[in-house]
Amino acid sequence: MATAAAPATPTLRGVQPLRAGEGHSFFWRRLHSLSGIVPIGAFLIEHIVSNFEAVNGPLAYAQQVKFLNSLPLVRVLEWCFIFIPLAFHALYGVWIAFRGRATVNVYPWAGNWGYLTQRITGIIALLYIVQHLWRQRFSGVNLPEHPGAAFAKVQHELHNPWMLAIYVIAMIATCWHFAYGIWLFAAKWGITPGDKARQRFGYVCAAGGTALCVLGLVGMYAFINPKYANAPEDVMPTQPPAIVQPVQP
Amino acid sequence: MAQAATSTRTIKVEIKRQSTPDGKATTEAFEIPYRPNMNITSLLGEIALNPTTVTGAATTPITYDSNCLEEICGSCAMLINGKAMMACSALVDKLEQPIRLAPLSKFPVVRDLAVDRSVLFENLKAVKAWVPIDGTYDLGPAPRQFPQIQEQRYPLSNCISCTICMEVCPQFNDVTGFVGAATIAQARLFNMDPAGSVLKEDRLRALAGDGGIQECGFAQNCVQACPKGLPLTEAISDMGRDVFVQQVKDLFTR
Repeated sequence: MATAAAPATPTLRGVQPLRAGEGHSFFWRRLHSLSGIVPIGAFLIEHIVSNFEAVNGPLAYAQQVKFLNSLPLVRVLEWCFIFIPLAFHALYGVWIAFRGRATVNVYPWAGNWGYLTQRITGIIALLYIVQHLWRQRFSGVNLPEHPGAAFAKVQHELHNPWMLAIYVIAMIATCWHFAYGIWLFAAKWGITPGDKARQRFGYVCAAGGTALCVLGLVGMYAFINPKYANAPEDVMPTQPPAIVQPVQP
Repeated sequence: MAQAATSTRTIKVEIKRQSTPDGKATTEAFEIPYRPNMNITSLLGEIALNPTTVTGAATTPITYDSNCLEEICGSCAMLINGKAMMACSALVDKLEQPIRLAPLSKFPVVRDLAVDRSVLFENLKAVKAWVPIDGTYDLGPAPRQFPQIQEQRYPLSNCISCTICMEVCPQFNDVTGFVGAATIAQARLFNMDPAGSVLKEDRLRALAGDGGIQECGFAQNCVQACPKGLPLTEAISDMGRDVFVQQVKDLFTR
């Protein structure tokens, strides 16, 4: 007699079936997607807009750096909203990238190129950010304590043409990754399900990404602009005690 | 013969063959007389009539899955000149020669061009891609289905389970164990069915499991390659939202 029990699932070779309802990868994958926009994307916009202040010269730039470093609990903000989410997004992203099997050689379609480009630009951005953090944030003049030295520190960095090329490539790659990332976010989270919605939102993301990239490159040009050549090492030098604390008569 | 002038034109075919699941893969070349308007199915039939390789060596007919021969059963998907296509709807006159045939690359080979695509059926079972109407008594007529819903469901119902969407997907591989677009689209189809929607939550929870909808990288190859033109990316997008909403609901209510 046949019983009511479901037939046993045969052991399959090759790709394994869905592990229905098991594991937590949905949560981590969606967190990865969200973290790329908030807080990392929000920080990217802030960073590029802040750097744009360099077009107003070394002193204006120093004041912007000083303002950001005078935010309440700035070190906590820096770790909670920049370093930790960025480290998660980067490491989980590399893990995602190496689990995919790109097929653009066989199927050279736009979406497939987008898939591959998102992974390549992510890895470029990661490599750039690691050196950028080390050379600009954690070594050399400590900018949070000496905001006046910010302009000169970046200017020295961009004086090297190789470094300048790295900065330009990384700016384009990062803005691409961010803009296409927003588009992917909207598609995957079901905000733009229809073909038309995705196409229109694609134009929005392309325009936004290009604008951000141009803003970043113009800001970067300020450091190599002959107008500000040989900027002073520190435009906010430590003041003598008499200026900081006026002597009481 | 009167046909001597035309019969000099031939079709060159190179087929990747393998006699057992664990056997060594070899490539055999064939050359068959040209006829206009052939498809890969008739080409393989032509080889079966006279299974002789281009060197004159006798061989066996090519094994491959087929049934309807008109792109409805979904059996004959294979790699034609490297790309996943249905053998029945791939026209020889439109293909570059020599035509290279190989089994789908992401499924275990059974023999020659026949592969084991059981993973799709296991996935369909995992998301309960059916309408639960079995019982011991008459359940009565089905609930009314609005034409607007029917219009959305019809394209999704065209899926022929050929697995081409999974073959072309960069995320469908043995590392991720991604469920693939076909299963997600079928879950959507049955979630929109007025009677099938009773299992909606089960399907959404299943798709949030490891290898579920989150593994989609939105390369959109599935929708480009689908021989039946299913709106697969739209289904993935809609289901992505539904799965997320279900997960949030479950977080607060379960």
